[in-house]
Amino acid sequence: MVEVLKVSGLEKRFGGIVVADNIELALVEGRVLGLIGPNGAGKTSFFNLVCGVVKPDAGSIVLNGQEINSLPIRERARMGLARTWQNLRLFQSLSVLDNLMLGPRDYSADNLLNVMLRPGHVAERERDSRDRAFAILERTGLTEIAHSPISDITFGQQKLVGVARALMNDARCLLLDEPMAGVEGQAYALIQRVVRDIAASGVAVCVVEHNVAFIRDLCDEGVFMFAGKVLARGSVESLIADPLLTELYFGT
Amino acid sequence: MDYVYTILILIGLFVILASSFDLVIGHCGLISIAHPIFYAIGAYVSAMLAKEGGVPIPLAILCGGAAAFVSSVLVALPSLRVSGDYLLIASIGFQLGLIEFAKHIHSIGGAGGLTNIPPFLVNDYGRLSYVLLVLAVAALTVLFVRWLTRGPYGRMMAALRDDELAFSMLGRNAIWLKVSVFAIGSGIAGVAGGLYAHYFRFLEPDQFGLLQSSAILTMVVVGGMRTTMGPVIGAIVLQILPQAITFFGLPPSILGPLQGLMFSGLVLFFMFARPQGLIAAPDIWAGRKPKAGQRGGLADG
Ligand SMILES: Nc1ncnc2c1ncn2[C@@H]1O[C@H](COP(=O)(O)OP(=O)(O)OP(=O)(O)O)[C@@H](O)[C@H]1O
Ligand SMILES: [Mg+2]
Repeated sequence: MVEVLKVSGLEKRFGGIVVADNIELALVEGRVLGLIGPNGAGKTSFFNLVCGVVKPDAGSIVLNGQEINSLPIRERARMGLARTWQNLRLFQSLSVLDNLMLGPRDYSADNLLNVMLRPGHVAERERDSRDRAFAILERTGLTEIAHSPISDITFGQQKLVGVARALMNDARCLLLDEPMAGVEGQAYALIQRVVRDIAASGVAVCVVEHNVAFIRDLCDEGVFMFAGKVLARGSVESLIADPLLTELYFGT
Repeated sequence: MDYVYTILILIGLFVILASSFDLVIGHCGLISIAHPIFYAIGAYVSAMLAKEGGVPIPLAILCGGAAAFVSSVLVALPSLRVSGDYLLIASIGFQLGLIEFAKHIHSIGGAGGLTNIPPFLVNDYGRLSYVLLVLAVAALTVLFVRWLTRGPYGRMMAALRDDELAFSMLGRNAIWLKVSVFAIGSGIAGVAGGLYAHYFRFLEPDQFGLLQSSAILTMVVVGGMRTTMGPVIGAIVLQILPQAITFFGLPPSILGPLQGLMFSGLVLFFMFARPQGLIAAPDIWAGRKPKAGQRGGLADG
């Protein structure tokens, strides 16, 4: 059980709103953790804290055994942390393929000197990235629309592009924020399979999702969050069977 | 004939300025209008190195470009680390401050201007040779900007414009990209400055102020941002129109303000009637076509 990501004592509040209340959580190699909880529970905020989008008030975040609290977003990504966004955040002026092309941890043109002085080297890296991108597009069933602009594809396809772009990182830790929201029928099985394959290859995965059936089918374990607190951890079955949690979830 | 040569040189110089400015504001989305100050730095550094230091002029021009490059990093780095919006204020402050400062430096001519800058090429090979030099540098600049923006560096610029947070989350360095593009654009403007100095052989601080900023901005907006030929056409049109007006024989007291009005009028007209400019950029970033035999993709080459 290798802990890829370990969060301890994580605290964050926005004014009066507590989004992280002493969170203790670990993501383990090869396993999929489901994160559930009502709207405003702090699920997305948890991802934002882990990624460095939001700075915690207290607590530590350890990735691959290294504390990353003070690292900027890009450094965390380069250590193998990848995520999708609840509101997609795809690059609208790039094609599907070019969205993916920007995703490798080491991008072909990260070094300007290489761009200027070693164009052959950069071109070779671009070719490698393109091959990888096409392999991932195939896995996610997006090959047909590789050259389409983002605005020309369906919402479900856009969700998949977000996942595909995150996969380009070859991440050790993958955070998926509501991959199923707004996605129709047949993508269900596809996303299930893709996420399972990723986990099977040794990645630590965390999925936020309101589609409880999806989480139940996919995840090895679940965590229930409410008002920034981790209230319970266990099998997804047991979490959704708990009347107290169900009440909190539906707010009745 | 000399008049035509001078116009051609001015067109060439403004093609360089507009194209490099489009790299900064159009392609990278960096809001700054201080481009002329880097033009000025290149001009003054090159002129002083050649005049006082006896540096060979081609080398002096390159040093002018390098000085503009370095000073643009010094302006952009602190401001971009704070936030993107801060660059506009910091760079205008730098532009206007440096112009005022230069007016009080006696050794570079002060407010009266720097005179007797050593000439280049013209005495030995005639004015046409200088025209050809400037047009060649202009063509190289346009091709370079096209090459850079259609390769993987350009893909980063497009993504940065769209969504800086998502860009960073992929491991890309937004600040480094902005600073490097700003410096490249400013360095090119610096080279243009050197070319200006050794032809016109006279520099004064006030010519690099906000009027010139608005002229370059107008060229890019009218021609069409993020297109190869837009800044070229913008520079030609905006250079020829004011010349054409002079043929009406209006008194200088009317002519000056009229040209200023024309710039703002054109920008306003285009903002409402044709915001994309004379040439429209495609909505989707178009990279270089992959070489034949490769898998279909848009970038690289
Ligand atoms: N940057 C911010 N500034 C102020 N308040 C914020 C910020 N980010 C989140 N919040 C607030 O924190 C609370 C938790 O938000 P968060 O997005 O983490 O919830 P969530 O569990 O992802 O909910 P949902 O299921 O609706 O996506 C919300 O009340 C939200 O308004
Ligand atoms: Mg959320």
